Amino acid sequence: MYRQTFSRSTPGCIVFLIDRSESMQAPWAGSNLTLAEGAARAINKILLELCVKSTKEQGGALRNYFYVGINGYGLCPSSGFEGVESALPAELATRGIVPLPELADQPIAVREEPSVDAMSVRSKVPVWIEAHHGFRTPMCQAIATTGAQVFDWAHAFPHSFPPIVINITDGMVTDSPLNGADLATWSERLTSIETADGKALLLNIFLSSAKQPGVWFPREGGGLPDPGPTLFGISSPLPQPLIDNARAAHIDIVPGARGFVFNADLAMLVKFLEIGTRFEVRDR
Amino acid sequence: MVVFHEPKHGSSEQEWEDGAGHDPGDPRRGRAARCVVVDGATEAYDAIRWVGQLVESFLGFDPAGGRPSLTPAAMDAWFGVMQERWVQNAPATFATIYEERKFHDEGSFATLLGCEITGLDGHWPRWEAVALGDCVLFHVRGTRVVQQFPELAPTDFGTSPDGVFTQPAARDSMRARLDRAEGVLEIGDRLFLASDALAQWMAASSGNGSDRLWRQLGVLDHPGPFRKLVARERGRGVLKNDDVTLLRVEITASDPSRLVVCR
Repeated sequence: MYRQTFSRSTPGCIVFLIDRSESMQAPWAGSNLTLAEGAARAINKILLELCVKSTKEQGGALRNYFYVGINGYGLCPSSGFEGVESALPAELATRGIVPLPELADQPIAVREEPSVDAMSVRSKVPVWIEAHHGFRTPMCQAIATTGAQVFDWAHAFPHSFPPIVINITDGMVTDSPLNGADLATWSERLTSIETADGKALLLNIFLSSAKQPGVWFPREGGGLPDPGPTLFGISSPLPQPLIDNARAAHIDIVPGARGFVFNADLAMLVKFLEIGTRFEVRDR
Repeated sequence: MVVFHEPKHGSSEQEWEDGAGHDPGDPRRGRAARCVVVDGATEAYDAIRWVGQLVESFLGFDPAGGRPSLTPAAMDAWFGVMQERWVQNAPATFATIYEERKFHDEGSFATLLGCEITGLDGHWPRWEAVALGDCVLFHVRGTRVVQQFPELAPTDFGTSPDGVFTQPAARDSMRARLDRAEGVLEIGDRLFLASDALAQWMAASSGNGSDRLWRQLGVLDHPGPFRKLVARERGRGVLKNDDVTLLRVEITASDPSRLVVCR
């Protein structure tokens, strides 16, 4: 299980769930960003890394190693109401999960930033999602919506590495139970979706606007403040490839560790996303 | 000297990202024979161009020069020249932001195994080789492995970060990690140079004490049987699905009596 490589014939699937509730407007201690801005920036950074990873030949198109989805919950910018909607660029949003090369072609903006490379003065940085915040935290609906998308994807790619769903939040779920099912049940439904290589993975990261000690990949959630135990409970046990990624990032992993990080600052969020999305790509 | 290769299953011939080449040399003029196997990293940018550049230059086929001696200092200088040429031959414009970023931030990377054979006009032919990464040379006499270079166990493959990088920042590590070995050849000896997946399979098969491996590889005379061998071992799950390359050198008492060209 969880051994399949990411290739053009067995692409991977990564779906980001991003909390866009009111509380995401809080300033993030240690940065000059709000939680919403930091989360959007981190996702844009990871998407760029996936695009670069999928680039092979001079003048060639990106290779289709990854499918990607982004779902926002809380404020829906297109309607102005509370709910769940795709945060992909408008032309792609109706499709939920799309091939990365298509997303690569459609950033909503390309910004220039100072480059660390002395040879070029400015570096072009594509932007796919912007920061938004408002309303409450309909996490059940977000997981239900994502489950439907992921189910279809897994059906289309039955031999791929199972879908990876990464939930970025700072708050307590506000719509549990939804249609008679609580957050744990919706999460179980999501993680029961499988390919031949294993069950879908649900990873959670809880952002803390204040400077608090962070907790990496615990094996127990009972001692954490709310909503730590709940988010721990819905997080998947880390499979070996993610354990390897975490150890490569110098994070100690204990047996039974789950894909959950509590009280994350911006640097922890970026590292968490890298651990959850760093896979060798190999054509076969 | 003969080369066999096969791309990953599912990839086209044009996507084979290893490289290999050989130069029979001219002992009367003091030009030693050379052979080289290079394995472009899967995630590297434009690995085919980098691999081709390394092969051509190592053998001395590049009009711009190359053919370094195998001393650490000369190889280090050659790495620098290769990195400069990589930049000189960069595209004037990049097709995408991602391509430009990959070129500048990551560049390309390949493992390299280069070998020189001297003394072919005398009684004491020798080989000398340099390596960065997990391409492997097997020096075989009959069905016995005289020497394996680098000495990697089957479990060691895929774990080494060593290779030839386009990024100048990696040059210190390349200089420090360059490995070197040499051996004495006899008539009838064979050298097998293989890229990592095949080398791993060869190291495992050889470790099983099987004579069959070397008999089998020693008589390969056409791409067809090599292709079948690779497909069979991939199907058995004992050969990783990766680009594979095998370069075989046979030490004979006289020049070959036949030249076979295969397409």
